[in-house]
Parts: sequence; C-alpha cells; structure tokens
Amino acid sequence: MANSIIKTENIKKNYYKNDIVVKAVRGVDLEVKKGEFTAIVGPSGSGKTTFLNVISGLDDPTEGKVWLKNKLLSGMSKKELSNFRRDHIGFIFQAFNLIPVLTAEENIEYVMQLQGVPKNERHERVLSILEEMGLKGYHDTLPIHLSGGQQQRVAVARAMVSKPLIIFADEPTANLDSKTSEDLLNNMRELNEETGMTFLFSTHDELVMKRAKRVVVLKDGKIEKDYKK
Amino acid sequence: MGLYFRLAWRNIFRNKRRTIITAIAIGIGIASLIFTDAIMIGMQDNMIKSLTSTYMGEAQIHNKDYRETQELEKTINNPDQLTKKLKNEKIVKAFSKRVKSQGTISSPVTMKPVMINGIDPQKEKIISLIDDSIIKGKFLNRNNKRGVLIGKEMAENLEVGIGDRIVITLSEAETGELSQMMLKVTGIFDLLMDEMEKGMIFINIDVAQELLNLKNKIHEIAIVYQDLKYSRNKTTEFTEKYSDTNNETANWPTLAPQLQMVIGMQDFSLSIVGIIIFGIVVFGIFNTLFMAIYERIFEFGVLRAIGTKAGDLRKLIIYEAAFLGLISSIIGIIFGYLLSLYVQHVGIDYSGIELAGAAFSGKLYPVMEIRQFIVHPLLIFIFTILVSIYPSIHAGKINIADALRKSL
Repeated sequence: MANSIIKTENIKKNYYKNDIVVKAVRGVDLEVKKGEFTAIVGPSGSGKTTFLNVISGLDDPTEGKVWLKNKLLSGMSKKELSNFRRDHIGFIFQAFNLIPVLTAEENIEYVMQLQGVPKNERHERVLSILEEMGLKGYHDTLPIHLSGGQQQRVAVARAMVSKPLIIFADEPTANLDSKTSEDLLNNMRELNEETGMTFLFSTHDELVMKRAKRVVVLKDGKIEKDYKK
Repeated sequence: MGLYFRLAWRNIFRNKRRTIITAIAIGIGIASLIFTDAIMIGMQDNMIKSLTSTYMGEAQIHNKDYRETQELEKTINNPDQLTKKLKNEKIVKAFSKRVKSQGTISSPVTMKPVMINGIDPQKEKIISLIDDSIIKGKFLNRNNKRGVLIGKEMAENLEVGIGDRIVITLSEAETGELSQMMLKVTGIFDLLMDEMEKGMIFINIDVAQELLNLKNKIHEIAIVYQDLKYSRNKTTEFTEKYSDTNNETANWPTLAPQLQMVIGMQDFSLSIVGIIIFGIVVFGIFNTLFMAIYERIFEFGVLRAIGTKAGDLRKLIIYEAAFLGLISSIIGIIFGYLLSLYVQHVGIDYSGIELAGAAFSGKLYPVMEIRQFIVHPLLIFIFTILVSIYPSIHAGKINIADALRKSL
C-alpha cells in the first residue's frame, strides 16, 4: 500500500431516482498506484462517474471505504476534505468547466491562490504550464475566446499546476472533436510520463481507452475487467 | 478576500442585461423612497407654512390661562419687556402684537357673531398673509383708524362692500360694559379657509385696545422664526425661555394639534409605503440571486470540487449581492435626485386643497435632505446583503456530485 494513491474497499453507492433506489456502484475494490494512467470505462449507467465522484471525495459512498494517499476519506470533516481536494487532487470535467469571468491565467492560478502560493510564483508556474500545454500567449484570454480544445488544456493546466497526487478526469474529451481529443490526450500522457503524475479517467471514449496504460471496465456497478496494456 | 471580491464584481456583469434590469428596478425602488420622503417633507412644510403663515404664526405667546379661558382680562404679562427681548432673539424673524375679542358685526341687513382681531398692520404684513389675500379694497394702515377688513363670505352675508359702514359691538374688559364702534369696510379678504372668512375681522390694534379698554395690554404675540425647523417640536429652548408663571409660549404643534396628528399619520403612511417598496425590492433581489445560483450550479460544483470551501462560496454570493446593492444604490440616488430636482423645478399643484384646517398654498415642492440619500440607499444595501444570506447558505450546501451532473 506504500505506493498506492487510491485504494477502495467494497464501495457501494445507491441513489434515489423518482423514489426508486438505483444501485449505481455495487461493491468495487480498486487500487491505483502512483504514476498510473488509468481509464475506468463502461457504457452509460455503468456507474463510472458515480464511482469517480466517490473515490475523489466529491460524494459519500453508501458503503465501503476509500483511502487516498493512505488517508481514509470517510474520517475527514467536510472542511478537511475540501482542503485535501485543494491540495492533493486535480479535476478535469467535461468542457465548459472553467470560470468564465477569469482569464486563462486566473483560472489556472485559482487553486494556488486558495493554497496561498505567492503571486510571483503563481505567475511563473502559470506561464510555464501554459507553454507546456501549447498555450503560450493565452494567459490573458477569457475562456469564451478559447476553442473547446484550448479550454480543456487550460483545465488540464489548472488541475496540474498545483502538483496534485492524482488527476481525476471525467469524460474530458466528451465535447471535443477527435483531433482535439487526441492532442489533449497526448498532452496528458506526456505530462504523466514526464512528471509521474497519476491520471484516472472516467470515459467511454475509445481514444482514451487506447491511450490508457490500464483499463478498468465497469458494468452494472461492478468491475467486469481490469487489465494493463 | 481580494479573490472573491474580484470574482463577485466580474460575476455580476456576466449577465449584463439581467444585472442592469435588476439594478434599475432596485434603483427605482430607492428613488421612490427618496422622492416620497422628499415630497412628504415638502407637503408637511407646505401645510405647516400655509397654516402658520396665514395668520397663526409659527409660535404664539399668551397669558398662560388665555388659550383655555379666552377671557379678555387674561392679557400677556409685561408685554413691553417681552417685545424688547424678542427683538434681540436671533432665531426670531418677526413678531406682531394682537388683541382679540368675541363680538358681533352688524350691517343694515343682518348681524353676525365674529372674532375681532386688533392687529398692527405694518407688523402683520410680515407675519401673516392677510394683506396678500385682499381681493377688494386695501389692507389696513395705522392712519385709517376706522378701517376694517372682513372676509369674502362675511361680506356676502352682511351684503356690504368696500366703503360701506358696519358696527361692531363687544364687551369691555374688566367692566363687561358694551362698547360699539362704527367702522368702514376698507378691504375684503379671501383666505381659502372657511373659519377665517366667515368669522374673523381685522381692525387696528390701538382701536381694539381703546374699544376693549385694554390700554396697552395685548392678548397675543405671533412669532415667525428664521427657519421653520425651530417650531417643529412642542417644547424648545425658546418656548421654555419665554414661558413663566404668567405667560406661555407655544409652537404650532401645540397650537394646532390636528395638524401635528396629520403629519404623524403621513409619517406612518410613509413607513407603510416604505415597507411595501422594501418588500418588492427584497423579493426582486431574492429572485435574482436564486436565478443566478441555479444558472451557475455546475460552476459552483466545479469551484467546490477544486477546493473552494462552502464558506468562501457563501462569501462570493454575499459579495455579489453587495455589489448589486451598491450599484442599485448609486442608480437609486441618481434617479431619486433627478426626479426630486425636476419636481422641485416644476412643482405639484395642490393649491386650494384643505387638510386638517390648513389649505395647501401654491405648489408642492419636494424638500431634499442629505439624510434621504444616505438612509434609504443604505437600508436597501443592508437588506440586499441580509437577503443574500439565505441563497448563499443554499449555494454553500450544494451536493457537489449533484451539481456536477447539471448540464448547461
């Protein structure tokens, strides 16, 4: 467990839809190690996003335990959990997840501001990561003036800039065309290889599956397959 | 703090049209409060002015028993000493001595009961509006000892006109013996106040004193201050200074309690109007904030996911409301000022309408006070912040996973 970033034990998650209990996740055990580039895949309704929300601390499991960097999430208060996400987790969601009134630089430095990183350092780190993401010169641009792909690369930069333990990406390519998706995935894969940062995707995009080093297939809330490539 | 301030400021301009419409709506509410307040003061000032400037004066000095008994013998104590002191009072603009008595007035046609007022024509010109309300003939003058001013309706009842003779009959002070004098109508006045027109006549004070055998004694000193504000309270330093065991000094709220009551009711009405406007504004803000929250629920989910604390999100919503309140207040102040300024220029014509014994004189003009431009916007601003607390708590409590499921 020393090298483990995530470990789950018998995770179950039920929710109510029109007063009917939906068993979205039905007992999942998973361990993700540092540096992995893993995709949780499955058809719509397989429970992949619900599972991702639970293991990233965005939602509580109905049953089971989640350890992130050997810390039990259910043992944390909401405030601790909020700080833990801020300091150790990066998130990438579907498109349109940037704060529209902040420039690319301000979006990227947002988490660092919450962490109290000094302004100069923030600025340097933002410019450096923007260059890495191929967005040099866009620091002062509002999201509305960026293409979908550029916006997602800013989102990746925002997730990575504070050097988290792991990045959770929920359908990051869902609203992108295949060329843009491929470029974005290449970016993320390069960053994974260069920095050793752990990526965990929830997706049904074949392209993501192809680029992933490990694929976990969920079906009806359970792991059907788990294989490395 | 800087981060959320900046974010809040930019957020309120995200949906410019909505923000502008909301700010204008709130601003109109504030402007209405400012204007209503200003016009109410104008209306009250007008009523007070019209009542006090017609004849009453803003304050009066009497023998302390005179107002209750109306006895002729109850004259002011040491009138000469009093008038000497009054001349040196900085807050007093003018004053006039008066003598009053009940009596009758007769013409060849009929006889009527009447209140006979002995006045100093020169002083009265400054104190009252009798000289301005002469519609026929002339105002009194000191040289014309036999002149009398009567009201329009009285003249009609007596069937007399300018130059006609009438006889007044009254009882002398002390002895109670009847005293009569024939006078010539020199002027007919129209004061738009029934009571005065039907039941009051004016003659020279020295003639009245002679008829009543009062020598130099007087019943009343009517006073006009340099500013109406000195008369607003029943008791002031001035009224206390000029009241003693023999004399009493009373401002208009004591002399005309009915007007004071009307003003109290107007203040109450203003409070009701204010509460209604506040209610509308508050619900408007509440609605706008909730709309803004529901519209941005996914974004709030993202903010919470990446580490923004619930408290910071609450702070953000409250700052946004505060900025909305601030912008609305500025708009309200500008609208309120322009509207009041315009009406101050053109006025609202209420002349002739009588309320609580006082007829509005001329047009009504709003009276602007700095207080109106601070208190009303500040209250709305504070309310805006208070109203935002509930939506902000609601936003802070969102379930992140649920919020992230909301598609745009």
